[in-house]
Amino acid sequence: MEIGLNHYLVLSTILFAIGLVGVMRRKNLLLLFFATEILLNSVNVAFAAISHYYGDLTGQMFAFFVIAIAASEVAVGLGLLIVWFKRHGSIDLDSLSSMKG
Amino acid sequence: MEKYLYIALFAPLVSSLFSALFTATPKKMFTGIVASLLIFSSLVSSFVLLMYILDGGEPVHVEMMTWMATGHLYIPFGFIVDQVSVTMMMVVTLVSTIVHIYSIGYMDHDKGFNRFFSWLSAFVFSMMVLVMSDNYAGLFIGWEGVGLCSWGLIGFWFHKEVATWAANEAFIMNRIADLGMLIGIFLVYWNTGTLQYDGAFAAFSTLDTATLTWIGIFLFIGAMGKSAQFPLHTWLADAMEGPTPVSALIHAATMVTAGVYLVVRSGELYDLIPNVGLFIASLGAFVALFAASMALVNRDMKRIIAYSTLSQLGYMFAAAGLGAYWVALFHLMAHAFFKALLFLGAGNVMHAMHDELDPFKMGGLKKVMRWTWIMMTIASLALAGIFPFAGFFSKDTILEAAFAEHHFVIYGVLLFTAGLTAFYSFRLVALIFHGEERYKIFGIHPHEAYRFMLIAMSPLLILAMIAGVFQVPFFEMVEEILNAHEYHIHSHTTLLIMLVGTQVFVALAILYAYKKYASWSSVPDGTSAIENSFVYKLLYNQYYIPYFYEEYIVKSYKEMSEVFWTKVDMKIVDATVDGIAGIIYGTGEKTRDMQSGNLSTMLKWMVAGLVGLLSLAVVFGLAARYSDEILSILSALGV
Amino acid sequence: MLDHILSILIFFPALAGVFGFMIQKDGMRAYGVSVAAIEFALSLWLWYAFDGSVSGMQFMESLPLVPSFGINYTLGVDGISLFIIVLAAFFTLLGIGSLTDTANVKYMIITLLFLQMTMVGVFAALDAIVFYVFWELSLVPMVYIIGAWGGPLRIYASIKFFLYTFTGSLVMLVGMLFMAYFYYQATGVWSFGLLDWYRLVLPENLQLWLFAAFFIGFAIKVPMFPFHTWLPYAHGQAPTIGSVILAAILLKMGTYAFVRFSLPLFPDASAFFMIPIAILAIIMVIYTAMVAYAQKDIKQVIAYSSISHMGIIILGTFALNVEGVTGSIFLMLGHGVVAGALFLLVGVIYDRRHTKMMSEFGGLAHVMPKYATIFAIMMMASVGMPLTINFVGEFLSLLGFYQQSHILTLLAGIGIIVGAIYMLAAYKKVFFGEVTNEKNENLPDVNKKELFALVPLVIVAIWLGVYPKPVLDPINNSVKSIIQLMHNKSITELGQERIPDLVKVKEIVIQETTIEEVR
Repeated sequence: MEIGLNHYLVLSTILFAIGLVGVMRRKNLLLLFFATEILLNSVNVAFAAISHYYGDLTGQMFAFFVIAIAASEVAVGLGLLIVWFKRHGSIDLDSLSSMKG
Repeated sequence: MEKYLYIALFAPLVSSLFSALFTATPKKMFTGIVASLLIFSSLVSSFVLLMYILDGGEPVHVEMMTWMATGHLYIPFGFIVDQVSVTMMMVVTLVSTIVHIYSIGYMDHDKGFNRFFSWLSAFVFSMMVLVMSDNYAGLFIGWEGVGLCSWGLIGFWFHKEVATWAANEAFIMNRIADLGMLIGIFLVYWNTGTLQYDGAFAAFSTLDTATLTWIGIFLFIGAMGKSAQFPLHTWLADAMEGPTPVSALIHAATMVTAGVYLVVRSGELYDLIPNVGLFIASLGAFVALFAASMALVNRDMKRIIAYSTLSQLGYMFAAAGLGAYWVALFHLMAHAFFKALLFLGAGNVMHAMHDELDPFKMGGLKKVMRWTWIMMTIASLALAGIFPFAGFFSKDTILEAAFAEHHFVIYGVLLFTAGLTAFYSFRLVALIFHGEERYKIFGIHPHEAYRFMLIAMSPLLILAMIAGVFQVPFFEMVEEILNAHEYHIHSHTTLLIMLVGTQVFVALAILYAYKKYASWSSVPDGTSAIENSFVYKLLYNQYYIPYFYEEYIVKSYKEMSEVFWTKVDMKIVDATVDGIAGIIYGTGEKTRDMQSGNLSTMLKWMVAGLVGLLSLAVVFGLAARYSDEILSILSALGV
Repeated sequence: MLDHILSILIFFPALAGVFGFMIQKDGMRAYGVSVAAIEFALSLWLWYAFDGSVSGMQFMESLPLVPSFGINYTLGVDGISLFIIVLAAFFTLLGIGSLTDTANVKYMIITLLFLQMTMVGVFAALDAIVFYVFWELSLVPMVYIIGAWGGPLRIYASIKFFLYTFTGSLVMLVGMLFMAYFYYQATGVWSFGLLDWYRLVLPENLQLWLFAAFFIGFAIKVPMFPFHTWLPYAHGQAPTIGSVILAAILLKMGTYAFVRFSLPLFPDASAFFMIPIAILAIIMVIYTAMVAYAQKDIKQVIAYSSISHMGIIILGTFALNVEGVTGSIFLMLGHGVVAGALFLLVGVIYDRRHTKMMSEFGGLAHVMPKYATIFAIMMMASVGMPLTINFVGEFLSLLGFYQQSHILTLLAGIGIIVGAIYMLAAYKKVFFGEVTNEKNENLPDVNKKELFALVPLVIVAIWLGVYPKPVLDPINNSVKSIIQLMHNKSITELGQERIPDLVKVKEIVIQETTIEEVR
């Protein structure tokens, strides 16, 4: 059986679903970051696969951008996370409610 | 001649403005004198113009400046002095001059002396604009102007609740009629393209009868208000709350006759629509009788005279409605003289009696007020139409006109009313001047009015006696522009029988009044049988019409306003607006729970939104793709 | 300088307002009066330089703002807008001159100067976006005036005023954007220029929709029944000066916009909606007059009377003939003068007694005769006495509408009766009778500062009632060109029937219509 575009897209969808569930269910900020990484990477997989399918490099370039942004996001996000942890001693999402309307 | 026209017109305005300068200051005798002199100069100018017109001069027509001009509409301040308006000018200025001089004495002790003259002169100015204007819009200026001055003068003693109430009533009732007048003016404009009398009259003959009838009806509604015809008559009696000179000038001699003037002026219109004319005549005859009946039992001196004015206005309308415009105008003139005299005499009595108005509380005044007695008696004789006083010539001609036109019902009503008129007039004279001195019970010490007031009244006295001699010259003058013809009863015998019959009838009514009231000795206290009879009560309460207006119109208007405000405006309209705002606020209030601050919850909402939008996109995408199929299915279902 | 006089008129007060922040508190009043006086002098100069015999736009200025979308800073005046601009400057001068609110007088004057900018801007703008910007900007100073200097319910009143009118304007903005889009589709270029839009003949159903969108914005501003409830609150809570400007100028924006936008852009829709709008107007006239009669607060009486008079203005506007539209524009001025004066007059007793309840007064004619006289003159003007300013407008408006419908005019004419009822009743309650309340016994009569504001208004009210020609003629010329434009543009039978053709019927040769003159 040959691995075709559909397989990649299915993989991407599954990864996306896992990420989405993670985003919704996780209460630990660190694990939330992991979940968003899964989301982003599922999109990357789809980008790369479609790019290959059409023979257009733009998609792969976009994947690189996404990786770069994910990296910087993690860098900033982890920094903030550490500061938060130092100050409050917890990175549980339920304790982060200073934005309550 | 134009110079005299301008003097006649603007001297009263100058007088009014001059007196207005001193309204805030205490009484200044010279305002009264200057005002009287200025009005007198207006009288002299009017007289010069009258002589000019009598000599067969062309009508004086000036156009001062443009007032309104837009689109096709062009209204100038134009004034015309012709046979009709010069008659009115003479009446107005003559009575005003006398009333001005008289008022210097009458308002002697009033602290609003200067203000009074300002209003009074302003009234004369408005009246002059009314009668001299050469177009309907200018007439309307004067029309509203006299209404305004009437408001100011009825409510002159504004500390009195009844006076201000009467002032507002008069103004508002006149406004109702003015709306009719305004609509009439609009009709004239849109059908003839002009509001100038000459242009409009020329165009009337080309219009169809239905339009003309509407114009005639609406203009007459205006006249009904100003001349206090039924059902807009209640204000006139209440207007007697104003100072008596005002009643003499405005509510007897001039303003209330403006309606008659309007009908006479628009004679060319009413000639074309005899049906409306007949209606006017019938209403006039009805009002003549109706008002006279209320005067029979009233116990307020001024109101009795007011009802008699109303009744005489009915006569004038009866004449005008039958096409006898010159007769109406002549009666208007004669009536102005003797009615003003009557009112001024009543003013003397009021002064003497310290504002007591009930004639039953007077009696025997002829001893102390000899001249007033003579004047009022002669005025009453003139009013009753006794030969050879003014009223005989004018009123009898109206009767003849009704007879000659074969409107025997109107004739009969008017004849009967003549008897009533004589009765109530002399009931008043007898009660005031004859019999026991009932006023002594009330501790009043009457005195005759100032001599100059009596002298000022004397021209009216003379005119009330001799105005009949003007009948022929007057007829000859106005027949040039009014559709006038003399009324001849074919047989001389009939005429003679009519004249003598009428005189005897009237004289009997006078004698009966004297017999009944000249020796009256007690003040009625409401216990006698006649005072408790149904007819007496009906008449005394003016057929319960004021009660009806108050109870069913004024009160319900008030209640409806209250409901509109508190219920409709606040509870429905505004509450709807606030309700919509409330829904938006409420939604915000509810949905703010979403913004819990919890990152996890917010992410869940985000995903929910994403899913929602995605599914919308899918639905729309599918709908777009399969639109044809969907349409065919829908049409198959009959949608 | 005359070439840019409109820009100067708009931005001079605003600039002066900015400098006003630097002025010492004591000198502020003098500063404000002098700025307003210069502004008024400039507006008079504008009138002087204005050629009344030309029907089109004059003193046009144009400056591209967003050329790609055809948004230009275009200004111009014709006979319709000229006098409202003069009136706005006049009232700003009188308002500042007679200002009595002592708290934060400095900021009040600055706010008024900004308000003056927006008012002139609205009436001079010939570009929809510029118009819209000034239209919305005018809300800000007004909200500030009500909210900062108002009565106890001021916050509620100002928020209601803002949100209500703002909502309407947003619908109007959508209409404007769509109009511009349609223009783009029809011609291939974008334009928000009003004079460009005038040339466009829209299909009928589009006219109806766009008319409705504009109508909501304008009707709320007027305010028309049933969108009127913000007005009594705004008037009731606003300080005297706020009510004066609101009644005299701001309300006129709505009716002015009807003449400037709705009529020439959508002639067929105007003809189509004539009767429904007239019915609304009649409800406005009679219903609010009755509500006014029920009021206990003298200021509310005048507030409701404003709505009632605006009904006559709307009626005149939708007469769609020269007499009616000219009359309605003249009545805008007349009502501005009279209502402004009446609010000033109410302010006089409010300053003395700090109450506006009529039951607190009575017999004031004894203690304040001058005041009573001026009030009586203005009341009679409000009631529509001939030879006062209001009569000319009311007469012409009703006369104009009479051509369209007899029975509706008769109904609207009831306004002159009910108008007299509430006014006379209120006057009687306040001025007639004995002085019953001892607090009123020693009230001082009007002082110099108050006379400064009132006497000119009395003079104007009578002068323009006796001799309206200098104002009526330019209005008449501009209105003629608008009516002719409408007739030429109308595509439905109804429009052709209801909008008179001036050239044919009256043989009046209009050499240049507005369109040709501008391009």
